[in-house]
Amino acid sequence: MTLVPAVPAARDLSVRANPREVRKTVLSILYRGKASHLGPSMSVVEMLIAMYSSVDLDLIRAKDPLRPRIIISKGHCAAATYSVMAHVGLLPWPLLETYHQDGSTLAGHVSHGVEYVEHSTGALGHGLSVACGCAIGLRARGAGQASVLVLLGDGEIQEGSVWEALMFARHHRLTSLIPLIDNNRISSITTTSDVIDMRPLKDRFAGFGFQVYEVDGHDVEAIMQAIATIRQRAEMGVVICHTVKGRGVPFAECAPIWHYRSLSDKDYQAALAALGQEAGR
Amino acid sequence: MRGRIMNALFTRMQADEHVFFLTADMGINLVEKIQQAFPSRYLNVGIAEQNLIGVSAGLCNVGYRPVVYTISQFLTHRCYEQIRNDVAIHGYPVTLLGTSAGYDNAPLGPTHHIPDDWGALRAIPNIDIYCPSSMAYADGLLERILSQPRAAYVRIPKGSFEQPASADNVVYLPGVLHGPLLISYGSMVQPCLKVQARHQEVAVLVCNRLRPLDEERVGDALRRHPAAWIVEDHFPSSGLYSLLCQFVLEQRLGCRLHSVAPREEYCLTVGGSAEYYHRRYGCDETGIERALWPS
Repeated sequence: MTLVPAVPAARDLSVRANPREVRKTVLSILYRGKASHLGPSMSVVEMLIAMYSSVDLDLIRAKDPLRPRIIISKGHCAAATYSVMAHVGLLPWPLLETYHQDGSTLAGHVSHGVEYVEHSTGALGHGLSVACGCAIGLRARGAGQASVLVLLGDGEIQEGSVWEALMFARHHRLTSLIPLIDNNRISSITTTSDVIDMRPLKDRFAGFGFQVYEVDGHDVEAIMQAIATIRQRAEMGVVICHTVKGRGVPFAECAPIWHYRSLSDKDYQAALAALGQEAGR
Repeated sequence: MRGRIMNALFTRMQADEHVFFLTADMGINLVEKIQQAFPSRYLNVGIAEQNLIGVSAGLCNVGYRPVVYTISQFLTHRCYEQIRNDVAIHGYPVTLLGTSAGYDNAPLGPTHHIPDDWGALRAIPNIDIYCPSSMAYADGLLERILSQPRAAYVRIPKGSFEQPASADNVVYLPGVLHGPLLISYGSMVQPCLKVQARHQEVAVLVCNRLRPLDEERVGDALRRHPAAWIVEDHFPSSGLYSLLCQFVLEQRLGCRLHSVAPREEYCLTVGGSAEYYHRRYGCDETGIERALWPS
């Protein structure tokens, strides 16, 4: 049976995006677009909701030059990013339906060709340096309080450029810059600890001069609280979000293959069922 | 030449608060004046070229016009992906000032020889490429670049060459019609001028800007000469020889092209000066004459 999943209709934007609804949207566009990256999209849903809920979206909509910046450095979580953007009103639903399809601007990695996306990423280890440039530039323009939130993967931080950027941020005390690490413990084909074991991760960031906040990465309130605390204390802070790769889709949870595999009809039905949703509505 | 370009930058920064200068811990006795005058628009990012380019892209995102300075080798190859992804894909107008062209760092060894920089950047769209040959051209170069909304790479040679005294992107110094034509850029123009001084039938075409190529003026020159020798301190397969071979074919010009350039290798033998390598690879005055008149 071929399913035609419906992307949810527009939401009441006065209510924060619901993780379960976002996951349904992610499943829908991945399935429709025959796209991969289910695992790394599902692990960051709550992180993205927290990030977009922690900034003034009106400034972003107005494209205010001194607006807060959200940089998605692990660009392969595009499906989740675009889904959350749709749920918070930054991306039109009809456009979202074109994800990963011929002629669309919505590729499998985030693109600045999409309105309100600050920077195209995909090759890893780029976003934090760009975010540093945004933060120091905003400070030079007298807007040092404007937040620059950066989403990185725990596999991504094996890139040396990430640590160049962290040293730079610490030296210049870029307190408006807040890196959030999706610590789902799987990089590409296996667990991060099998490849480059950085445990305890907290010590790595602490050693570079950052206050480290470790939170349940599937708890929106906890993530937002960590961001708020760093802001309030005006300190160099990193938020390590402990997450589950593939969260919400039992057969994909902690399974590296779901970095790459796309959903079959059967997979899609099973995933939707797991999220408590009837398929094919 | 570096000093003149940096002076022009200083003047521009006085007038334009969007210009932001960054260095990867290079430019002693050149950058301090900028640091003192414009502390909020000066950054030494340290020995971290990937971050240098990423930070520059972020500065563009918030409305600045970054000008970046370090040794060409580190500026191009070390952070090639950052230039491609963070600058070129985004169409950000970052100006890349690269020093030590070709064999300018001669005795420092092959890691510091740079016969393959602008050719690598040539593979990336959205970046203009300049190889200034004289002070007259260098003086107005920064203004020229900053008047364009694009990224640019400047390959700054060591030396203070007064000739050719022209600020044009392309300078044609005629010899005799249908005589040999030497085409060059950067410091390699100097041996070409010496050859021309001894053999007045030789014409010289100086290309201060390699991308976009001024196709009309270069085409005009190539139509006047049945054969041209491209003299460069860069590997020919990605350098001006390759670029002009494509151009001649596409334009059906029928001009024969010859390369006078380094062998495509990384040389482990120490030379005390750039001239040692130019001699070794037949790109010096004598080598050019030998290429023109093999017998």
